[in-house]
Amino acid sequence: MPVWFTPATALCGLMFAISPFLIANAPYESTMGLVQKIFYVHLPSAWMFLIAAIVCGVASIRFLFRGDARHDRLAWAAAELVVLFGIVTLVTGPLWARKAWGVWWQWDVRLTASLIGWMVSVAYLLLRKYGGPGSDKLAAGLALFGMANVPFIYISVNYWRTIHPTTSVVPTLPTSFGLPLWFSAVMFLLLFVLLLRARVRLEEQRAQLDALYLSVDG
Amino acid sequence: MAACIVWMLSLMGGFYPGESATDWPSTVTLHAQQPEAVDEFVPIDELPPQDQLPAAPLLVTAYAFVVLALFAYVISVARRLGAVQRDLERLQAELKRNGST
Repeated sequence: MPVWFTPATALCGLMFAISPFLIANAPYESTMGLVQKIFYVHLPSAWMFLIAAIVCGVASIRFLFRGDARHDRLAWAAAELVVLFGIVTLVTGPLWARKAWGVWWQWDVRLTASLIGWMVSVAYLLLRKYGGPGSDKLAAGLALFGMANVPFIYISVNYWRTIHPTTSVVPTLPTSFGLPLWFSAVMFLLLFVLLLRARVRLEEQRAQLDALYLSVDG
Repeated sequence: MAACIVWMLSLMGGFYPGESATDWPSTVTLHAQQPEAVDEFVPIDELPPQDQLPAAPLLVTAYAFVVLALFAYVISVARRLGAVQRDLERLQAELKRNGST
């Protein structure tokens, strides 16, 4: 592991320890009250979900054009994080929505596109696990659809009728809400980088193991 | 003639002979007596108390899920890394043994 990994892990752990106090001290939102505090994990996890999909897509493009296994390892690692942060987003969102909107789910554009993006990443992982030879390139092609979905998810709330808050909410947040939000966002970003690095390390070691097996057989 | 007019008016608005025009139920009054159409969306702070959900269980469930999901993934990666590391060490030891014999 790189030199920065352990200090970054310690920093991330410290931020996770501090964040509950920041979130608890944030004011209550006037209409939604206590349940609005789900926002401080829902929004950062949604951002990491989208970032992971972009990383997976870009790495897949580079793998398809250059054939470098390092890009494939990065794409595979990022796909797992799309599934992880996606499931966190898709669970915390409805828990908030049940109280705020009165329903668990709405088939509006953002929610539906997010669910589809998550399912694309699940399909990626299933393909890599059970697909056999050639599944790496096929999965890379699939990841492009996941990446193409990302801007659609983000801007959909501004153009289609939805009850989901639009993208203008976050830039206009007062400091009392913004501070815990951005703290959580940086914390989740650091966690994303650490998990991505650890997962890529796993693939590097698997590749090393495969090479060793081949040398033993040879 | 007068009877025809009374008959026509009775068909229109429930006017019965013997009643004056001021006794006619007005359209506005009739509509006011009907129940108001309920809009689909009711603001959350206007819900009656029995329809309001408690927020705390939802909040706790959300945060618990986040912590458990992240923890489960970290454990998963750690276990997979440990298994591969053990296989690597075993194979390297075997190669060293085969190389030395």
